[in-house]
Amino acid sequence: MDGGLLWILVESSVKIALFFGVMLTTVAYMTLVERRVSAWIQDRRGPNRVGPFGLLQPMADGLKFLFKEAITPQHAHRAVYLLAPVIIFVPSMVTFSVIPFGPSIEAFGRVIPLQIAVVDNGVLIILAFASMGVYGVALAGWSSNNKYSLMGGLRSSAQLISYELAMGVAIVGVLMSAGSLRLTDIVAHQAAHGWNILWQLPGFLIFMTAAFAETNRLPFDLPEAETELVAGYHTEYSGMRFSMFYMAEYANMITAAALAATLYLGGYHVPGLAALGLSEKLAAAIQVLAFALKMGLFLFIYVWVRWTLPRFRYDQLMNLGWKVLLPAGLLHIVWVAFVVLMGWA
Amino acid sequence: MNLLTGLILVVVLFALLRVFRPANPLLTAILPGLVAVGLLAAYHQDLLRLEFWAGAVGFVAILSALLIVMHPNPMVSVLFLILNLFCIALFYLMLRAEVLAALQVIVYAGAIMVLFVFVIMLLNLPAEEGLGAGGGIQRWAAVLLGSGFAALLVFVLRHRLGRPYFEPGSFVQEFGSARDLGMLLFGRYLFAFEAASVLLVAAMVGAVILAKRRLQ
Repeated sequence: MDGGLLWILVESSVKIALFFGVMLTTVAYMTLVERRVSAWIQDRRGPNRVGPFGLLQPMADGLKFLFKEAITPQHAHRAVYLLAPVIIFVPSMVTFSVIPFGPSIEAFGRVIPLQIAVVDNGVLIILAFASMGVYGVALAGWSSNNKYSLMGGLRSSAQLISYELAMGVAIVGVLMSAGSLRLTDIVAHQAAHGWNILWQLPGFLIFMTAAFAETNRLPFDLPEAETELVAGYHTEYSGMRFSMFYMAEYANMITAAALAATLYLGGYHVPGLAALGLSEKLAAAIQVLAFALKMGLFLFIYVWVRWTLPRFRYDQLMNLGWKVLLPAGLLHIVWVAFVVLMGWA
Repeated sequence: MNLLTGLILVVVLFALLRVFRPANPLLTAILPGLVAVGLLAAYHQDLLRLEFWAGAVGFVAILSALLIVMHPNPMVSVLFLILNLFCIALFYLMLRAEVLAALQVIVYAGAIMVLFVFVIMLLNLPAEEGLGAGGGIQRWAAVLLGSGFAALLVFVLRHRLGRPYFEPGSFVQEFGSARDLGMLLFGRYLFAFEAASVLLVAAMVGAVILAKRRLQ
């Protein structure tokens, strides 16, 4: 094995290990943020007993999940039942790997891109793996052999197919203005010509709505609507397997927030940073921090919306996806094409 | 003897043990596992060769294709079909057609197969009795078409054997990039592309009309 390959392996392993640590910690603390913010919105206190401000609550929850019995229903399809939590968890992690969270830095005599997988077709890979998550929900619902689970699984497959289209159509606008499928190019284009949200607001709104639906969050959490379906597709799951679904939901939210920040808020770009004349490493650190802040903004919006809006009815959900978002997205493409043709962007 | 044939033999060994010694999980899981680890240690140089990966993906593709047809449970068949489509996407990736690979996953594995899963869940089909299902004219048609396809395969393989899988050097720069693919679709093959989309719209409208008429 020659030196170059070894370096690439070491670099990738370090990045992947760091990524997993940060991602899983964020997932754990998002559950706390969700509960604290919901308590704040509803004028309650929320979990505040375990550690200062309840900061150790996620650890307590994790331990509790680990020690709970993991039940397999007698008439479940065992292999698929065990596979479903894995299928939903893996794509939510994979999608983040192509998102650049900072500029390339020079360290140890090499140029290190702050991105786990440097690929040319990042947007396509995100769309490809994001569409895999639906199998986890659908198969969990089917293999549990429970009518409520099955209804949840059915709803999710119909919902995700519908909103995937709207999301793809919204992203086309970004691709047209940047002229590239590479996420670093999209960030660079926004750094040069202004953030996309400034003139692609309709596209951004469509993207965010579709992202809420794709991550099964309220107001689109029909697959697990507890007033009708007990807990939907994960009714029969318990213990760590149940918490896999929760971790996947929060991991999906984080990836969607990162994608929204990259596509519409200029990714890791900070306006006016180049004029300050900081050293390269300090500038890179500030940019990574800015990216984290932008993601945090979106994550807060996720929680905020969940505890503000009521759930849609199923026909309203379908009407919104097919009769409002999709035509609006197509109109948005025409608008972006017009702007790009006139050379305004 | 190389790593690929060794691993394929391990899978065959595992399958045979599963069939003839199903009550002994120690033997069926640990023995093939140990043999596989030993093979990996002995032939680890093969892991860096593209031929090994192409062969391995091809083996998984063929195995999953067989299981699609032979598995008694329709939902598991669909899962193997998804695995099979993934293998084809990997082949596209090895041929440096990255956009095509991503589109394969988005369109086939991500969209069309979700509809398959949806329909199977909706029908709630009972598990079929394996290979016994279907009969009469269907069986004879299958035999006829299958032997025709086998003959075609033999014909193609006789012309291809002995040559390398593909020559990466023979590809033009930017081959398979989104830009080049778009240029071809909206330039040279514009008519075929538009004709296909008109056909799809016609089929869609027709399906809606047929479904609505039954409702009234």
